[in-house]
Amino acid sequence: MPPPNAPSGHLIVQAYDGIILVQVTKDRLLDPPVIAAVSAEMMGLLDRYAKPSYVLDLAKVGYLSSAMVGKLVAFYKGVVAAKGRVAISGVKPDLMPLFKITQIDKLIRFYPDAQQVILEFKRKPL
Amino acid sequence: MTARRPRTTRRLAKAAAGPETTKRFSLRMREGAWKPSGEILLRRSYPSRLDMKQQAMDTISDLLVARGWVVDSDRPWLVLCLDEAVTNAMLHGNEGDPRLEIEVAVAVDARRWHVAISDLGEGFSMESVPDPDDPESLLLEHGRGIRLMRAWLSSLTYWRHGATVVMSRRRADI
Repeated sequence: MPPPNAPSGHLIVQAYDGIILVQVTKDRLLDPPVIAAVSAEMMGLLDRYAKPSYVLDLAKVGYLSSAMVGKLVAFYKGVVAAKGRVAISGVKPDLMPLFKITQIDKLIRFYPDAQQVILEFKRKPL
Repeated sequence: MTARRPRTTRRLAKAAAGPETTKRFSLRMREGAWKPSGEILLRRSYPSRLDMKQQAMDTISDLLVARGWVVDSDRPWLVLCLDEAVTNAMLHGNEGDPRLEIEVAVAVDARRWHVAISDLGEGFSMESVPDPDDPESLLLEHGRGIRLMRAWLSSLTYWRHGATVVMSRRRADI
């Protein structure tokens, strides 16, 4: 993959051949201003790529709130509208029940690590 | 012999298994003011400023973890519950007005700890809370906080029409 884009503060974005790896760099996704900023950066990606395959890596995230879960749903809806796809990787085991309780795992597929999703997306291009 | 999973893991796994195995979704709304059971360990007020939110949450979570009532590995869930309640009190209850304070109280009895968070608002209507078991709720961008809190807490009770929320959970040390 090429070197990452200039750091935006909350996300590191690497794009290659229609696969966009989005790494969230914040440990705490709790404060409304942080959530709004992360969400705005994510939604901004939707305008940049056609039929994208997003890998959203949450490996660095230790804490998140229901408001952030709502923003992930908004991003998912944007990706679907753009005829793309998104998977989430690297969720810490302590946080995984959060996505199951809210049934987000019925919307978005979860993988242990980003590399696994990238390989999967490469194997099955859109 | 199969290793027995910790109580929290079993409880969250059960909640995560699906709506049919979770506790029936309901909010308990009580009249009047909350009267804490057991010993009150902390009672403090904070202005409704987001820069004070972290201080309020750290004070409560450090106390509960230091006393052994919440295990450290459960801290993300404790922080999630506190964040939902404190943010709601500051931003919705007190409408983000920094002149208005929220009050937090921590109490403990022989079996459970309790955290109460009160604001100066008028509470909320239960009808405004989306039913998480409704399939149409899956794509909503809000309305998941109460479900998450209920998954980890032993009880979640609202007083004063919702202007006080009381979160309780069995102590981890007994």
